[in-house]
Amino acid sequence: MSYCVHCGVELDQTATRCALCNTPVIDLSSVRDENAKPPFSTKKGQVERVKRTDLAILSSVVLASTAIACALLNLLVFKGSFWSFYIIGACLLLWVFSIPLFIYTRLPIYLSILFDGVAVALYLGIIAYEYSGLAWYTGLGIPITCMVTLLVLLFTFLHRFFQTSILSTAIYLFAEVAVFCVGLEMLLRNYFDGVIRITWASVVLVACAIIIIALLTIITRSRLREAVRRRMHL
Amino acid sequence: MATEIARTASRKSWYKLDLSANVYPTLQRKNFSSVYRLSVLLKEDIQPALLQKAVNMTLPRFPSFKVALRKGLFWRYLEPNNRPGPFVQSDISNPCMPLHFKGNNRYLIRIYYYGRRISFESHHSLADGSGGMYVLQTITAEYLKLLGHEISTGGYVLDIHELPAAEELEDAYIRYANSKVHRGRSQERAYRVRGTAEPFYTLNIICGVMSTTQVIKTAKSYGASITEYLNAVLLYSLMLKQKSEHPFRERPVKIAMPVNLRRFFPSITLRNFISMIYPSIDPRLGEYTFEEILLQVHHYMRYYINDKFLNGDITTNLATQTNPVSRIIPLFLKDFIIKTFYTRVQDRQSSAGLTNMGMIKVPPEMEPYVERFDIYMGQPFSARTNCAIVSYQDLLTINFASSIIESDVEEYFFRKLVQDGIHVKIESNKHMEDK
Repeated sequence: MSYCVHCGVELDQTATRCALCNTPVIDLSSVRDENAKPPFSTKKGQVERVKRTDLAILSSVVLASTAIACALLNLLVFKGSFWSFYIIGACLLLWVFSIPLFIYTRLPIYLSILFDGVAVALYLGIIAYEYSGLAWYTGLGIPITCMVTLLVLLFTFLHRFFQTSILSTAIYLFAEVAVFCVGLEMLLRNYFDGVIRITWASVVLVACAIIIIALLTIITRSRLREAVRRRMHL
Repeated sequence: MATEIARTASRKSWYKLDLSANVYPTLQRKNFSSVYRLSVLLKEDIQPALLQKAVNMTLPRFPSFKVALRKGLFWRYLEPNNRPGPFVQSDISNPCMPLHFKGNNRYLIRIYYYGRRISFESHHSLADGSGGMYVLQTITAEYLKLLGHEISTGGYVLDIHELPAAEELEDAYIRYANSKVHRGRSQERAYRVRGTAEPFYTLNIICGVMSTTQVIKTAKSYGASITEYLNAVLLYSLMLKQKSEHPFRERPVKIAMPVNLRRFFPSITLRNFISMIYPSIDPRLGEYTFEEILLQVHHYMRYYINDKFLNGDITTNLATQTNPVSRIIPLFLKDFIIKTFYTRVQDRQSSAGLTNMGMIKVPPEMEPYVERFDIYMGQPFSARTNCAIVSYQDLLTINFASSIIESDVEEYFFRKLVQDGIHVKIESNKHMEDK
């Protein structure tokens, strides 16, 4: 029978330290029973993983059958154009989007965003093939898709890697909006006029810069941060 | 007979969630469920196979526990669950771990054994502690019967060959909530314990075992009941903790305490029938001594715990639920609104939770086989500590459950008891190391 010298409570015979104050138990006169059972189990429990195979099968089957049915209709009944490509592409797109939701939930988020980007690029490719628009596809479609995918990847990384608050998330968001607008205008100008310059994007850039500076000031000043939190609380 | 009961139960194809049960599933997160645990410590090691047999025999008697939680368009509901299980498992070091509605064969209860202990865990949307105690004691009684002992029914032990009464499955709130005014719900924000969150799958339990007579004697010396005394000790500990943090602005210290409404409104329901009260002190008004806190708690409880005030509280809740506008809101919006209200208002108006199930009685034939009971309020929703008290014969146990590393509140609490001359024995599942 040991007591904590600090708290005055009796401790379990298996305890090596007081659970309240972490003071070690030093009781030279009593011999510790090595085989005594601790009062609580030491085995760690884990929640059973929920299987979502039903939903995965259902969504895959519905999307696949839609795609196949449309392809058959296109081949046998409405033969005018390759309209079924749009639907097959859309089904593929939805399927890729649904992978991290219920097909393979342990897919790393960065990979799933990358797959989503590739799927969107493919779908744009289908549209470009139908409209014989290889020029806009290579000049605008692919670069914009790549840019958006990269920005989403970066946002996800920042959000997950650093400790985030609503304010810091807003900073990332405004910075990315600015980069996106600048990139978009540069690509559009390059495609239509053949020169790289920015006009309206500069307005967005300045507005975003002001907002970011304001947010940075708030975030670094604890008093301001508290005031904002107080006044804006829901 | 058991199959007949099962048939009758399965004839009722679904149950509405009761008034307070509606809140708990909305708070569900990946790392949080409103799960509580009740344990009984017997005098001999548990035999898992017999325990499983006892569980299988007992559960058909409790149709409201043999259910799965499903989503409707506007509300969630409970559906009889005939999947295999629930199966007894050897105990784990992190009690009340999250319970996913789709895992565990969709059962919302878990039964564990460890050494001489049987533990019963239930999601709060099924029942409150009293409802769960009926299941635990009936399982224990059946287990002891399988070991060859004669156990009569009575108290928390129900006859498993009886059909469940309709009143056991009813939502008793609806029957009794009839106040003509609705009392306000939101209160001032309370002090919240700041602590370092433990990693996922950790729940720190600190259990204090003491003599009931000693606690009664000490409480009497202050002119208070056990609940009032222990409430005051917890308020005192929280007050000391707040003071030790030297806050820029102090806040009132409040305890959220569930009151068993069956004491005031006769009902045999096995589902939720509780209401919350908030004993508190406001350190901004001045320094409180322990005696002053105790006096405040004593008068608050005498003034507040009566059928009139409690009726006002449950009527407020019922009015929200029966309001045509809130009924027609789709479930996902309801979830969002309830969760926001809970995290922004309800959760912030108390510093800790405390529940006292009081003196547990078992049928006289069972007494020689039972050593003590333990109850755990489960994982707290925010970083804080919950305290659950139960007594059986001369053993009173106080179980603190917290998901933060620091245990200052518990330390202040038990030290105060030791100072008042109560002999406390501490058991814990914490792994203490050099800091």
